[in-house]
Amino acid sequence: MKRNVLVVVAVMVGLTVAAGAGTIRGKISGVAGESVVYVDTIAGRTFPAPAQHPVVDQKSLIFQPHITVVVAGTTVDFLNSDSVAHNVFWTSLGGNKKLGHNLGTWPQGEKRSFKFDTSGVVPLFCNVHPEMSAYILVVATPYFAISDQAGNYKIENVPDGSYTVTAWHEGVRNQSKPVTASGESKVDFTLSK
Amino acid sequence: MVISHRLFMLFVFIMIVILLTGSSYAIPAFSRQYGTSCSTCHVDFPKLNDFGRAFKDAGFKFPKDDETFIKVPPVLLGSPAQADLWPHTIFPGTIPGLPPIGLRFNTFFQVVSKNRNNFNSQLPPGTVGPFIPRTDFQPGLFSIFMAGNFGSDIAFWVDDDISVGGSGAAGGLGDGYLKFVNIGRFLKLPKDALSMRVGQFELDLPFSPARSWNLSGWDIYDQTNFGTSSQNVNNGFALSSAAQGVEFSGGHTYRGYHYSVAVVNQNTSGSAASPANVSPQVGFASDSNFKDLYGRLSYRFNLERDPASRNEIQAAGATGPRDHTYLTLGTLYFYGRSVQRATGVESDGVTQTVITAREPFYRVGADFSFNYRAFNLFGQYLQGRDHDLTPLIPTNFALPVGFIGSNPVKFSGGFVEADYLAYPWLMAIMRWDEVNSSADRINGIGADAGNSPPAPFLSPFHSARHRFTPGIQFLIHANIKASFEYQIRPQQVVYDISTGKPLTSPFRTNSAVAGLEWVY
Repeated sequence: MKRNVLVVVAVMVGLTVAAGAGTIRGKISGVAGESVVYVDTIAGRTFPAPAQHPVVDQKSLIFQPHITVVVAGTTVDFLNSDSVAHNVFWTSLGGNKKLGHNLGTWPQGEKRSFKFDTSGVVPLFCNVHPEMSAYILVVATPYFAISDQAGNYKIENVPDGSYTVTAWHEGVRNQSKPVTASGESKVDFTLSK
Repeated sequence: MVISHRLFMLFVFIMIVILLTGSSYAIPAFSRQYGTSCSTCHVDFPKLNDFGRAFKDAGFKFPKDDETFIKVPPVLLGSPAQADLWPHTIFPGTIPGLPPIGLRFNTFFQVVSKNRNNFNSQLPPGTVGPFIPRTDFQPGLFSIFMAGNFGSDIAFWVDDDISVGGSGAAGGLGDGYLKFVNIGRFLKLPKDALSMRVGQFELDLPFSPARSWNLSGWDIYDQTNFGTSSQNVNNGFALSSAAQGVEFSGGHTYRGYHYSVAVVNQNTSGSAASPANVSPQVGFASDSNFKDLYGRLSYRFNLERDPASRNEIQAAGATGPRDHTYLTLGTLYFYGRSVQRATGVESDGVTQTVITAREPFYRVGADFSFNYRAFNLFGQYLQGRDHDLTPLIPTNFALPVGFIGSNPVKFSGGFVEADYLAYPWLMAIMRWDEVNSSADRINGIGADAGNSPPAPFLSPFHSARHRFTPGIQFLIHANIKASFEYQIRPQQVVYDISTGKPLTSPFRTNSAVAGLEWVY
């Protein structure tokens, strides 16, 4: 009986993956450097945050990486690898200034964590070194990709369905487009200020 | 002639104080090298924050792990492993990957009060006096400066004013030195207990006139010492003068103790200030190898409650690193000899010779600086004293045979300044300067109709020269600053030459100065 159940589950999962998951790919033009493309929401579904915390490091007076994408509910660790003091703060989350926050300051080798429950763009700053900035994108689904420097992106394992995908790039306006995910789908974006 | 001279001096004084304002530097070369903003090291450049002090103390390096911050890799002048081969090979060093050159320019606009030409009332009829315009645009300095580190804790600095006050007015070398940081390690001394600087440099003053953030300098640092008509002191030395020599220093300027001891060339060239001075002057050049001595000692108490934070370069604030709450107390002492040569005679009263007056002098001062978050209150008190050797002219001799001690020439004064950083880009300043001297040219020698030739016709209303200077400064960008100062100057009066009675009511020649400065 137990064996039969396992077989049924395996078959269903296999069918789901085989018949219900596709890839969205495309190219982002009009901007230079990395961009982010993500599936906005999938109605009726929520996604658990990963147990592993992504790390945003402050090293050599630079936030590393410059762009981090996380699913809502994810806890991000902020590490200071420099021998100078750093700070992390953001003035808004998703444009909502009430969600601005200052994590304070901490010495080399230590880190502080923050759980991002609300979707939106988080512009990170260090109040000691104004040249430092980075972004965290908090998105609703795990279906996202960071493009390469040429703007090519690929989002894999997207369940079949009709969604809205959004392209984000630092300093320019977002662009959203509808897409029907089934097998290979292609969505290109041309971003501008 | 005397009147013209006085007017000229007044004109020069006003132009210098109002227009040719304090020098200042921020170092774009470091921004390029480390890929960081000016504000990493500066509060309202060129005022240093605690990190900037530590960076400077370390020899223009990040105090720890400097190499991890450099975005432009230095050029190796030999493999680091070559160090193991020394002394059989040249010890390896580095030069900055980019020429560490910064440029700076500033320009000013001033408005002077209407009574600025009151002094001309003493001119003979038909004489045209120097004209001080009511409003004036003035170019300032165009300077080049280079600074960095050659590896092995050897730092360098060179700055030069390519032009001053517009075309055709050359400036000259400011500082140019090598600093050997932490050489005490060879003597097993504690870290940073001993460094050495060699070249031309500004003395290690508590507050740097050469790198002042104010539009006008602190008066007491520019104070020379000239005697009255009955004295023979013409000491052109001011603490803001560049010195050539060697300096040993240690400690830190961002916490704990700091000291420096310098041996520098004599630098007392002056000009005859008083008609009764020994005449004719032959010169001021030193005739000995005696070097002037300067020393400074300070201690900074970081007042954070948390010991860990107290000992860090910057304090850990609730929302980010910030400058410490601190109190710094310090003292300085300068000892030198002012040398004047004059034409005299041998004891026979006939054979001419050069006689030399070597007048010891000292400057001694105390200073403090208190900082709480965005508020900084600091000040300096200074006393100066020059030994006075007046000519000894025996009866029936036309020229002196030597010198005899007389009353010393003294001055005192200082300043107190409060800076408040309302925003990271906006600093408000209130400053008070005072110089007490009954015998210096800038103060004006007291009117005395009994003297011959007649005493000067202008004088401060009081024996002290006060100046209040409120100001405000804006950072348009991290490297562009707009500054404004209103200089409330000392009260003065104009005297009738023949009677010594005042011709004018006491008046102030105030001025408003706006400046734009940028570095790149």
